[in-house]
Amino acid sequence: MDSSRRQFLGSIGQVTIGAAASIAGANSADAASGSATDATNATGPHWGMVIDLRKCIGCQACTVACIMENDVPEDALRTNVSVYEVVKEGRDPAMVMLPRLCNHCDEPPCIPVCPVGATYKKEGTGEVLVDASVCVGCAYCVQACPYDARFINHETQTADKCTFCVHRTEAGLLPACVETCVGGARIFGDLNDPESTVSRLLAENDVSVLRPEMHTAPNVYYIQLDEALDGRVAGEAAYRPMVTDAPESHGESV
Amino acid sequence: MSTRRNVLKGAVATGALGAFAVGYSETVKKVLRGKWSGEQPRKNVTGNAPDPEYRVTADGQIELNPEQAVSYAMCIGCTSMCGVRVRVDKANNKVLRVSGNPYSPLSTNEFLPYETPVRESLAVLGQSGKGDGMLHRSTACGRGNAVLEQLDNPRRVLKPLKRVGPRGSGQWETISFEQLVEEVVEGGDLFGEGKVAGLREIRDLETPIKADAPEFGPRANGVVMLSSVNDGRDNMNLRWLKKAYGSTNYARHGSYCGGSYRSGSGAMFGNVKKMPHAKPDFEEAEFIIFIGTAPGNAGNPFKRIGALVAEARSSGKLDYVVIDPVLNNAQNGPSGDRSRWLPIIPGTDGALAMGMMRWMFENDRLNKTYLAQPSKAAATAAGEASWTNATHLVIVDENHPRMGKLLRGSDVGMKLAEGAKPYDDSDPYMVASDKGPVPVGDGPAPLFFNALVNGKDGPIAVKTGLTLLREEAERLSYEEYAAACGIPVETITGLAKEFTSHGRKAAVNTHGGMMSGSGFYNAFALMMLNTLIGNLNWKGGTIMLGGWYPDTNGPAYDLAKVVGGVKPKGLPLGRNVPYEKTSEFKAKQAAGKPFPAEGPWYPNAPGLATEWFSSMINGYPYNIEALILRNANPIYGIAGIEHLVPKLKDPSVVPLIISIDPFINESTALADYIVPDTVMYESWGFAKPWNGVPTKITTARWPVVEPKVAKTKDGVPIDVDMFLIATAKRMGLPGFGDAAIPDKDGIMHPLNRPEDFYLRGAVNVATVGGSAVPDASDDDLKVSGVERIRDLLQGTLKPDEWRKAATIFAKGGRYENKDLSYKGEKSAHPYGKPMQVYNEGVGSARSALTGRRSPGVPTWREAEFADGSKVADIYPLSEWPVKVISFKSPLHNSYSVGAKSLLRITASNTVNMARELAEQHGIQNGDQVVLTSPGGSVQGVAVVRDGVAKNTVAIEHGFGHRAFGASDITIDGVTLAGDPRLATGMLQNDLGLVDPTRSKPGVWVDPISGAAVRQALPAKIEKIA
Repeated sequence: MDSSRRQFLGSIGQVTIGAAASIAGANSADAASGSATDATNATGPHWGMVIDLRKCIGCQACTVACIMENDVPEDALRTNVSVYEVVKEGRDPAMVMLPRLCNHCDEPPCIPVCPVGATYKKEGTGEVLVDASVCVGCAYCVQACPYDARFINHETQTADKCTFCVHRTEAGLLPACVETCVGGARIFGDLNDPESTVSRLLAENDVSVLRPEMHTAPNVYYIQLDEALDGRVAGEAAYRPMVTDAPESHGESV
Repeated sequence: MSTRRNVLKGAVATGALGAFAVGYSETVKKVLRGKWSGEQPRKNVTGNAPDPEYRVTADGQIELNPEQAVSYAMCIGCTSMCGVRVRVDKANNKVLRVSGNPYSPLSTNEFLPYETPVRESLAVLGQSGKGDGMLHRSTACGRGNAVLEQLDNPRRVLKPLKRVGPRGSGQWETISFEQLVEEVVEGGDLFGEGKVAGLREIRDLETPIKADAPEFGPRANGVVMLSSVNDGRDNMNLRWLKKAYGSTNYARHGSYCGGSYRSGSGAMFGNVKKMPHAKPDFEEAEFIIFIGTAPGNAGNPFKRIGALVAEARSSGKLDYVVIDPVLNNAQNGPSGDRSRWLPIIPGTDGALAMGMMRWMFENDRLNKTYLAQPSKAAATAAGEASWTNATHLVIVDENHPRMGKLLRGSDVGMKLAEGAKPYDDSDPYMVASDKGPVPVGDGPAPLFFNALVNGKDGPIAVKTGLTLLREEAERLSYEEYAAACGIPVETITGLAKEFTSHGRKAAVNTHGGMMSGSGFYNAFALMMLNTLIGNLNWKGGTIMLGGWYPDTNGPAYDLAKVVGGVKPKGLPLGRNVPYEKTSEFKAKQAAGKPFPAEGPWYPNAPGLATEWFSSMINGYPYNIEALILRNANPIYGIAGIEHLVPKLKDPSVVPLIISIDPFINESTALADYIVPDTVMYESWGFAKPWNGVPTKITTARWPVVEPKVAKTKDGVPIDVDMFLIATAKRMGLPGFGDAAIPDKDGIMHPLNRPEDFYLRGAVNVATVGGSAVPDASDDDLKVSGVERIRDLLQGTLKPDEWRKAATIFAKGGRYENKDLSYKGEKSAHPYGKPMQVYNEGVGSARSALTGRRSPGVPTWREAEFADGSKVADIYPLSEWPVKVISFKSPLHNSYSVGAKSLLRITASNTVNMARELAEQHGIQNGDQVVLTSPGGSVQGVAVVRDGVAKNTVAIEHGFGHRAFGASDITIDGVTLAGDPRLATGMLQNDLGLVDPTRSKPGVWVDPISGAAVRQALPAKIEKIA
């Protein structure tokens, strides 16, 4: 079941150098064995995103480009940038901009809960997608997603989420959020290709993932993600009083 | 977990998080309704996303989508005016999405060589492009992605409107363009309120505007035009107002934007009217102090700075400090110590700068080799990239008639050259030597000098400019500077040490944070830090805009010239000239008491729209008859102006107000007539960046979609250009009509429609500067969508011109290649005039109200009112303990609510307050609070933050609208109800002050720059029970 690598991911919330790339590969191999996805095309691309938090300026270009590209209905967003003022004892307060989107997990908790098979993982390239013609709008997947990345589209009454802009990537283009990322924080590419920009970034940097304890094998990685924030994925009301104690720790301490 | 962490909900993306929550909560209530209970999207998996605009094959070949166009044009979502690529649904004439133009340095770090074919410019953006398609990544920011919604905004003004109720009542009727032109030109009893003079009558170039004061010029000066920003169409405005109509009164929004910064910079650069300014070389600098400006959070050019700083702090060599009363996105936690935040008491930046200077003088950390060069020749010989007047001698003798001026040869009896007059350009500036004052030469001069020298009429006390600066820096102790700015002594000196530890690869940068009552001197002091290390024109230091390819005056056409035109005369409405030039001064001087004047004057300031409003309501220095606003919103933008609005609503004060604007904003709402205007991608124009690009650049804008506005009876879209052309032709003004534009052979060409002007402008852009761009190929026209205007180009321009002009539109402008940024270690486009360590214009001018002089070198001054009273004396801290500042987010500005998607991300603004201050008042996150200044009060939701300086409250600009759709608009009896979502939040300018020391009402402005004060407003705060 759990590979030792995923255990490693979950335990410290950070992965080191080559491990991340190999995890992605390993999970694809798992998928090929038939747990959640149909099959893996070993020769084609497997899409992933690396988000370098040092480069995010919090301008929300990604957020708006996604709205424009995908005609996202008014009460929802498929991606956005959460902005935090982080205060640590003995340190100056600091700003952290955290871009969030569907993690296109290799072990996606949203897929097994779908009663009608509307949500699926795309063969080969690995996007987690929803076929709206099959979806019945039960919202089980919305509740199952540990990243709060899904919603029910009030216009279609079906589950909706980031598609990694599959209609663009199939046309040889990049996702809208990546194309317009001002700081160059969102980097997209083929995790199967060791020479790709994303693979090289994973090889050269310590990277983290959100909610590592969920063992979702996400395909969205972060550079310089403070562990105080790796669980900060839920939507929160606008003026909620500040968290005064340590936030719930999602990674078990070792 | 050993470390306690406080994680506070971010202040910026609050709306977004809320939206996520809304999406979720709706779903959990849902019961299973069965398949397709909702609307069917266009596609089952990708929903309503349109098909991609083109495809790129694995080998980099492009397949266009025939239903869409991708065109390079210009964004005007802010004043950066970036080059963008606009994706258009051709059949529906609708802009689908906007991202960046990869030729444009404003949108692209690695911008393409200009010779790249248009087809290839699209190919590089696909997965097969270099760096997996991301090397030439070209972007639009959040606002730039959203502002296309302004084109389809349901409250756009599409037809000419005339008020039918009292001014400001929100009642309008539509009128034809022809009626509009007739009424504003001919005047008459236009509103049933009595006769209103039309533009034709007011254009009297002989009768003085003020009977007893000929210095104010003719009655024609009573038509004044306020254009928000040069969006690439200002040349047409200036042609109309100044050269054809003959009024001198033209201004832009600078005096309520960043005017104090510009003035402080202008004082150092030696031009207080054009106010040159430099920017750090973000790509090569090792250490930058951002103070009162926030790279990547706001500022101009927004994206370029944000992208370069993001790159430099992660992959490059830059460490930086953001000094600001409020922590913002400019600081970046994940970058660790490379990006730090230092809070400062609002409006006290000059104290910090002077404290740093004190340490630099005391510890010999000046670039003395640079400062010692008194002339261009000396600087060149020393290998310097610029020079200063640090060594020039200044007359400091109170009894000398030229007190405060720089010592010249004629002052010491030097014989001048044949035909030369004292104090003209050939009368040399003097420096110290063993033998007394000598003219500046081609070698270094003494930095410090303080003595009596022999003048032609006796001894004169002189000092070098640098001596005066040192005295000013040493006037206060470190402890006094620290107390003033709230930054500990060791931090002040530590900053000075760090700043002077990188040679010339360090810089100080500032902007809108300077809009306080000490703004001018704060900015002057901060900028002087750059001069003290000699970083100007050096790689890694501060560099100028690389220049541009002008559209007006090129080798093909002279668009700046008006044959038979007018040269405007008279002193300007904004009083930005010496009071000593007025009849009032002369009369009062003759009576023995020249001071005080009836109101303040600003001899060292540029055109001041802010002061116009005081002038208008007081008739001082003169009354005006017509105000023309062009895409301007001073009633929203000027702190404290709300107090003057009742007078503006009285038509007897300003009898005619015309607003040329796509929207009914707070200022347009006071107009008598509204002229529709084209929005961004519908209009023409050529713009240069504000700053921050080291290479030459002209961004072009052209109608990539059919304008939505109504048309004239001749079928031309109604916009600012067409309104000016039509009114000029009706009045018979020179420079418009069938024979208006001379070409290089002197042959005249028509100016009857906007494209007559802008297409010829494109030919100039294409051919100026000693080289011409290549002709656009048929494929360039096809791929760029310029095919749409092919007939217009061919029909208007000469056969050898039109394909060159087409290239300018196909590539969205003209851009010098990136490899031409530097020459060796120096900037390729250096600033060529000396830095003024001592500005004699500032140092010799007297306040019109007090008769006192101000220092000609940077200094730290507490905020003052016009009569010299300390603000803290009139509004003491004991009663007004809070300082309020205004800041901008990456998303919102004065017109951002016109793009509804931005409100999905930040739906309102909040009262950001320091934790200690909140605790003192028992205020918690989410509490309703009221903030009161001597000028007004606002109410909002408190957000308590550690990232706000002590006793400080910070309010984001862009909310609290009264117009722009926030209130009802009735047109032809049909009411479009106000939308409360557009009215949310507070307008910090409502806290702005009227200066209590002015006898004629006017808002509080900086005494030197004349710019509106919105930073460090005194206030108090209370929780609403």
